[in-house]
Amino acid sequence: MKVNNVILQFTAKIVFFIIFFFAVHIFFAGHYTPGGGFVGGLVTASAIVLLVIAFDLNTVHKLLPINYIYVVAIGLILALGTAAISMFVEQPFFTHFFDYFYLPLFGKTSLHTAALFDLGVYLVVVGVTMTIIQTIGDDE
Amino acid sequence: MSFQILLNIFLAFLLMFLTSNYSPSGFVIGYLLGLLSIVALRRFFKTRLYIGRVWSVILLIFLFIKELILANISVLILVLRPKLQMQPAFFKYDTELKEDWEITLLSSLITLTPGTVVVHVSDDNKSLFIHVIDSNDINETIDSIKNSFEKAILEVSRS
Repeated sequence: MKVNNVILQFTAKIVFFIIFFFAVHIFFAGHYTPGGGFVGGLVTASAIVLLVIAFDLNTVHKLLPINYIYVVAIGLILALGTAAISMFVEQPFFTHFFDYFYLPLFGKTSLHTAALFDLGVYLVVVGVTMTIIQTIGDDE
Repeated sequence: MSFQILLNIFLAFLLMFLTSNYSPSGFVIGYLLGLLSIVALRRFFKTRLYIGRVWSVILLIFLFIKELILANISVLILVLRPKLQMQPAFFKYDTELKEDWEITLLSSLITLTPGTVVVHVSDDNKSLFIHVIDSNDINETIDSIKNSFEKAILEVSRS
């Protein structure tokens, strides 16, 4: 049975961007305030799930042609690689480095390798959540 | 309309580069001058000025606030009556709006004003099915929707 979901679909299109931006903000706020890779990943996944609810799995797969298994793999490689950097400079495993850089537009920012590790966590969480949803949601 | 906004921002940057004043105040001065020139050359644009559209959006917001307060008071009166004398009903409302965002906006406005809830949109996007809390004055409700919300949204979207 086809029902006319014009209100849900239009609202989902707009709210998706708001949720995604909020997820990015939460991801970068994780160092000093509540937030971080795990929560950011879950919020991003929930934004994609909102699209899945408003449209359907095939439409969303055409929009975002991502194999989420690869996303999990990339996230794990990032986390492991970040942890392994320190072994090449005579430091124990998992030692993090940070320094202050002067970037254009941002001014003085402290860049920390923990952010890269967090990015790995983020990718793993998005990939795992979306893989679960897609596997359960497929009716093949 | 979007072309006019883009042109206005471009003119603001142009003035910033000409005066080499790269600060927010320089941008605001350039934007106001660009707006003046766009108003002066309004005959060249196929659509109407975007300032009028922004004004209609502001009017729509104030209209919504007014309707929200009035409808809340009327529902409060209904609830506080010792005897329940209301007749809930569904009715079909034929709309003139075409675009997705217009229908979504109209449905949201109708739903957010108490007493009426949009429950379904027909497949051809031509009519809304509305549940009303008190059916003694359905025609009045239809007239109020037509003359307030739909008129204001049409005012925003008219080119």
